[in-house]
Amino acid sequence: MLNDWSYVAIFTVISMFLPAAAIAIASFLAPKKPNPIKNSIYECGVETVGATWVQFKVQYYIYTLVFLLFDVEIIFLYPWAVAYNQLPLFAVVEVIIFILILLGGLLYAWRKGALEWV
Amino acid sequence: MSVEKPVVSLADLCSRYEGLLVPDERQGFEGYLISPDHLISFCRSLRDDVGYDYLSSVTGVDNFPAEQMEVVYHFYRTTGGPSFNLKLQVSRHNPVVPSLVPLYPGADFQEREAWDLLGIRFEGHPDLRRIMMWEGFEGFPLRKDWREPFFEDEAKPFKSRWPDGQVIRSEDQNPYKNNVRYPNDFDPEQWTPVGDDALYKGMLNLSQNIQSEFKTDQIVVNLGPQHPSTHGVFRMVVVLEGETVLSLKPVMGYLHRNHEKIGERNTFLQNMPFTDRLDYISSMSNNFGYALAVEKLMGIRPPERAEYIRVMMAELTRFLNHIFSIGFLLNDLGAFFTPALYAIEERELILDVFEAVSGSRMMCNYFRFGGVARDLPDGVLEKIKELVNDRLPRKLEEFERYLTKNDLVRIRCEGVGVLSPEEAIALSAAGPILRASGVPYDVRRADPYSIYDRFDFDVAYGLHGDIYDRYLVRVEEMRQSLRILKQVVRDIPEGPIMSGKPQYQARVPPGEAYGRVEGPKGELGFYVVSNGKPNPWRYHVRAPSFINLTSLATMAKNQKIADVVAILGSIDIVLGEVDR
Amino acid sequence: MDGAMILEWVIKSIFLILVMTGGFAYVTLYERKVLARIQVRIGPNRAGPFGVLQPVADGIKLIFKEELVPAKADKLIFTLAPVLTVIPALIITAVVPWGTEVTLFGRTIKLYLADINIAVLYLMAVTSISIYGIALAGWSSNNKYATLGGLRATAQMISYELALGFAMIVPVMMAGSMSLVDIVESQKPVWFVFVQPLAFLIYFIAALAEINRSPFDMPEAEQELTAGYHTEYSGMKFALFFMAEYIKMIAISMIGSSLFLGGYRGPFVDQLPALGPLYLFIKVAIVLFVIIWIRATLPRIRYDRLMQFGWKVLFPLALLNVFVTGVVLILVGG
Repeated sequence: MLNDWSYVAIFTVISMFLPAAAIAIASFLAPKKPNPIKNSIYECGVETVGATWVQFKVQYYIYTLVFLLFDVEIIFLYPWAVAYNQLPLFAVVEVIIFILILLGGLLYAWRKGALEWV
Repeated sequence: MSVEKPVVSLADLCSRYEGLLVPDERQGFEGYLISPDHLISFCRSLRDDVGYDYLSSVTGVDNFPAEQMEVVYHFYRTTGGPSFNLKLQVSRHNPVVPSLVPLYPGADFQEREAWDLLGIRFEGHPDLRRIMMWEGFEGFPLRKDWREPFFEDEAKPFKSRWPDGQVIRSEDQNPYKNNVRYPNDFDPEQWTPVGDDALYKGMLNLSQNIQSEFKTDQIVVNLGPQHPSTHGVFRMVVVLEGETVLSLKPVMGYLHRNHEKIGERNTFLQNMPFTDRLDYISSMSNNFGYALAVEKLMGIRPPERAEYIRVMMAELTRFLNHIFSIGFLLNDLGAFFTPALYAIEERELILDVFEAVSGSRMMCNYFRFGGVARDLPDGVLEKIKELVNDRLPRKLEEFERYLTKNDLVRIRCEGVGVLSPEEAIALSAAGPILRASGVPYDVRRADPYSIYDRFDFDVAYGLHGDIYDRYLVRVEEMRQSLRILKQVVRDIPEGPIMSGKPQYQARVPPGEAYGRVEGPKGELGFYVVSNGKPNPWRYHVRAPSFINLTSLATMAKNQKIADVVAILGSIDIVLGEVDR
Repeated sequence: MDGAMILEWVIKSIFLILVMTGGFAYVTLYERKVLARIQVRIGPNRAGPFGVLQPVADGIKLIFKEELVPAKADKLIFTLAPVLTVIPALIITAVVPWGTEVTLFGRTIKLYLADINIAVLYLMAVTSISIYGIALAGWSSNNKYATLGGLRATAQMISYELALGFAMIVPVMMAGSMSLVDIVESQKPVWFVFVQPLAFLIYFIAALAEINRSPFDMPEAEQELTAGYHTEYSGMKFALFFMAEYIKMIAISMIGSSLFLGGYRGPFVDQLPALGPLYLFIKVAIVLFVIIWIRATLPRIRYDRLMQFGWKVLFPLALLNVFVTGVVLILVGG
């Protein structure tokens, strides 16, 4: 008997065929007449100046860092949520304290201005 | 607004410059002539001491074949009153004039335009580049001795194209290149487009002094010309850090067709339909301004009924334009076409009226010198009454209910793109932009034309000068337009609609006139110079969209890139008028 | 036995993929029709009766479109990005049940692909992956609008994912299981949306942000970034992004229906399990309608406000909601 994960695996493999087939079919059927103008980068009809791949504003990355912290913590909460009904009161109180610590972390990031878009 | 009492009167100032300031005594001309050396000091006194704080129009006149070029300025007071005309006469060979940009920043684009099209060099202008034509263009197309590639004749009406049964095409008479001028050492075979080096120069690295713990690169992004939200082929070069705009330069001229040159080839009457093509959303207002200018020259006034019809059409146009612009402002804020389409529904009803009276929905060509082209057909007045008394107020209220208190609209609009009253005046902003900044300046009140002095209406104005106030001003102006319209449809008399008999050729005596109306987008001025011939010698349009764009860079600085689009939408430009 | 089983799952997988792609095609038509009616227009009505062949016509057109690849782009990633965007959109639907069991050709067929015991976690994981395609598409195009759009998309999606995660914990707590089948079954007495309207609201808002739909469609904000991360894409690759977006819309509606709106449950579904997919279909259609309605109505939120809203309003609210739910469950459950 296959377990349910195998079905997901089968599905994933099959679903890879769809975009691959689409791109393959289109590459057979679609015309290909490239020229330098067509292949230039679109910037509203004028030539682009300066590099695109530059050092971007750091704010995008700060969000990522904060996200990483909280995302990991969400994962901790899931097992607790599943077993919620069977848990002793102590464990529940523990997790509630954990959530409060999370809130504290959020407030800290807030105070530090990490959530400000500047 | 700083309402400081003028320290000296205009007459005092003129007497102080006795001898340097000469009244223009040519037949039909007005204003004063001054020499370039004294322009700056005189204008500073004019602005600071006499209170002429608003530079409405800067343009030039080529007096070919005389070796002389004229620069014409029109100044106004934002407290109201007639204009002060100032002229400079310089040599045509190398016309150099001091720039007024340090005193009146609103002269920026207008001086660039005069340089571009007439070759008048403005000494001290911070960025004197071509504005309509491209870098590397040879010659100055508004000069009288400049000829277009398929030049046919100096002025219309052209000679018969089939004089002896054989059709002559101007292309045959004037094969391409006969009139094309190339810069020296130009080889078409070797030509590669000159990049925008001059444009980009000074844009990058202009804010190295910004303090930051992290090194971030700035990028230059072009928004436009092929962009979904620039309302046409308009381009903004934006320097971004992250998503914040550090500086912005507008680039225009992609739709340039040398409207003024064509206008000078046309006869006076032929220009009437041509003005429709300026701001094609509100053609009736364009007709109005041009008709006023030429009527001033001819010294005639239309009969009563025609005046009422004119005001009626102008106010319907204002309503139409504002509702359209609010709809598309919402589009620029990211609403997916629903407000715009609701607005278009109302616009269509007004266009029905225009079609009924003029035969055309957008290019109305309805005004004539001394009246209007046709009387109102039967039933149209009833239709207009129904619109202004019932439908339009109801729909306007509906619009307000959806938008005015909408949180998302307020969040996006309040405090964004702020223009202070001082900046707005200095940058020669006009119309809703100026009024939203808290300067209640409306040509209909400040310098009444036609029969606007009879009607009871308020000048709408805002206090904060942000996008939201511009929106509110537009809504309030629509309401005031309806108020005027209600009085018009109540009072409109019977009678003739043309003074004198209709004529194909307007006889315009020599002279100059500046006719201005409060168009929906701002002060729309027509500067017309006649030399008594059937064609205008000079035909200049003070396009409100164009001059309002002068303030775009100021408004957009340090805003987010998403707001730039909204700010542009709040200026409400039409590229037909910007580029001309 | 195993061979037959595998065949059954393969057929089910292919069937699901076909349903999702067909659904994608007709959601585009649905959206255009609904938008048109809201905007006093008619909408597509030329291809076939009521325009029903419009998606087919669009598809054929896109297949025969020339595909342009910018010379300066990173070509491998540029081609891979649309594929990477579509796959997560498809496989996220694997764990959503459409019904219980029906008997067909003498076989008992389960109306879901997989009933894995940590389905909600799986949903979270797949949503995270789907960011990659978009971020890579924006980056590899070497286009300024696309890069900005890709960065925006990344920052936006991760910000709202937290709120989404917390909103999805609530049904898990109520049902005591992470399996979507169990969650749906435990809504037999009452749908969770009536018990937890706030969690549903947070889920819905965060999901809109997650799939970049209006009013959170910043990454492809037409008004400033032309088309955002897929500016440089054309032809079939563009169609794949489009497809991913619409399949995500359907997936989000399906998941939302399962978590909060009782999924396939409805009157008489216990007696007649074949009704299950129908109920789910109706619920999905209603949720989709709301999504389209929002698009037709609201202007876009500015980017910085959007991030602020996500971090300073939605996330703390979701956190507090979990907290309150925990406390209330203790008090009620004793």
